[in-house]
Amino acid sequence: MGAGAEMITYNRLSIALQKRFGRQRLRRMILGSIPFIVLIFLWELNTHFGWYDPIEIPPISAMWEAIFWLQSDCPGFVAAIEGHNDCNLSNNIISSIGRVILAAAVGIPLGVAFGVLAGINRVLSGYLEPVGIFMNSVSGIAWIPLAIVWFGVGWETTLFIMLNTIFWLIFFNTMMGVRAVPRVLVQGVQTLGGSRWDTIRHVYIPGALPSIITGMRMSLGFGWRALIAAEMIGGDSGLGFMIFVSAVEFKSEEVFLGVILISIIYLISDRWLLVPLEKWTVERWGLVWKPT
Amino acid sequence: MSVEAKLIIKDLTHYYPDEYTGESVHALENINLQVYENEFVAIVGPSGCGKTTLLNIVAGLLPYRQGIATVDGIDISGPGPDRGVVFQEHAILPWRTVSKNIGHGLELQRLPKTEISRRVHEYIDLVGLTGFEDRYPHELSGGMKQRVAVARTLCADPVIMLMDEPFAAVDAQTRITLQDELNRIVMATRKTVLFITHSVEEAAFLGDRCIVFSRRPGQIKTEIKIQIPREERVWKDMSSNPIFTDARDEILRLVRQEVTSDDEQ
Repeated sequence: MGAGAEMITYNRLSIALQKRFGRQRLRRMILGSIPFIVLIFLWELNTHFGWYDPIEIPPISAMWEAIFWLQSDCPGFVAAIEGHNDCNLSNNIISSIGRVILAAAVGIPLGVAFGVLAGINRVLSGYLEPVGIFMNSVSGIAWIPLAIVWFGVGWETTLFIMLNTIFWLIFFNTMMGVRAVPRVLVQGVQTLGGSRWDTIRHVYIPGALPSIITGMRMSLGFGWRALIAAEMIGGDSGLGFMIFVSAVEFKSEEVFLGVILISIIYLISDRWLLVPLEKWTVERWGLVWKPT
Repeated sequence: MSVEAKLIIKDLTHYYPDEYTGESVHALENINLQVYENEFVAIVGPSGCGKTTLLNIVAGLLPYRQGIATVDGIDISGPGPDRGVVFQEHAILPWRTVSKNIGHGLELQRLPKTEISRRVHEYIDLVGLTGFEDRYPHELSGGMKQRVAVARTLCADPVIMLMDEPFAAVDAQTRITLQDELNRIVMATRKTVLFITHSVEEAAFLGDRCIVFSRRPGQIKTEIKIQIPREERVWKDMSSNPIFTDARDEILRLVRQEVTSDDEQ
């Protein structure tokens, strides 16, 4: 009797979940979370059996406590947003995110602008392509020592490092996207009376958008990585800086916390910024293949 | 009383460099052509005869050096809204809805929004796309996309509408419907049209005059007038119309000559 009732409850729950998230999505969510569950399980086991010292792999509880420990002197939520001096963790998060936003706000428009120009002008692309390939071949963090000499430790250095990554990625993707725009679309607008500027606004940029969004994805990923590295060596705040300082002080729970926060922030920005942007534009226009 | 032609082409000869070999290709030889107001001129010829080259020159998409080409007495020196083009396919913008595509020309002319929306509605009704205003092109069939393309060109109110094999990429049934509809639309708007096609039937059905091109270098071989009033041009009546069948057979004979003499080389 009891087992039967349990089965019914289980079935109802399963159907409710499938209805809520959709069968395929639910399946993917479950499959995708299995590796994480296994990792967390192993992590807990380590704490339980003590295979590795807490200094090498700290317990999950210590990491959790580190959040509150780092924020313990923070007077409150408003103070955290305002960047109060004692709000250690939130300040570092805000600092890193702020730098990503700043670098994106400068690098993406610049990259798109030069990419469009190089895409429609053979002479300009002749100038910029080789130097772009040269710059792209050098890992962004290779510039850190030099950037510190030029700009000192601080936001200028991290901005420079990120721009170096973001600009060239966006530039190349935009240029390729512009070149792939069918000529007949441009000619159509020209014969409607469109100027060069009209063809850029109405044809080249929307036409290159699938490629530009790919570039934004890549530059967010690579830029974020470059930022963490730059903060470690040439920064005075941010999650990379926090990880570095904590490691020096052997606070491995803070290092773990920093690493996990970095991936969570990246994941959120991709899911909640770029995916919706993609849905709103190129998917709606039928420019990308999507599974039905 | 002489009426000035809308489109005048005089002694036009054109060469272009081949994309791969770089050799000079002789595309057009001494073309002389006039298109008058409200006239529908169809150019028919074997593929590769230079008829699309001629259309691109008139559209201003291809610069020319030898000869004269004017619209309304003004030398053609680049694309402009006075010469709207309906391309073969895939020329409407995928990121604009049906009504945004149709109103694009007026938007580029900076007309007030209310005026644009009024005219867009008029042309959406004309081409029978009512109810599809907010759809994106990828949600439409090939035939509907070409209706959008025709409406987009007409809505900008060009002096002459240039059509480059606009129905070549749609299926046979749709093509017949679109040809019937184009007739009705041309009748309603009294537009001047220069129409390029390789389909003899299409040329004979639509054209007031059919210009037969020779194979490359494209020359005007013959001109055939087809005096069927536009309101009588409906596909279901055509097979019993001797003017149409005679013209079609004559054009077909002339085009076949070009194709077979090509084979003999």
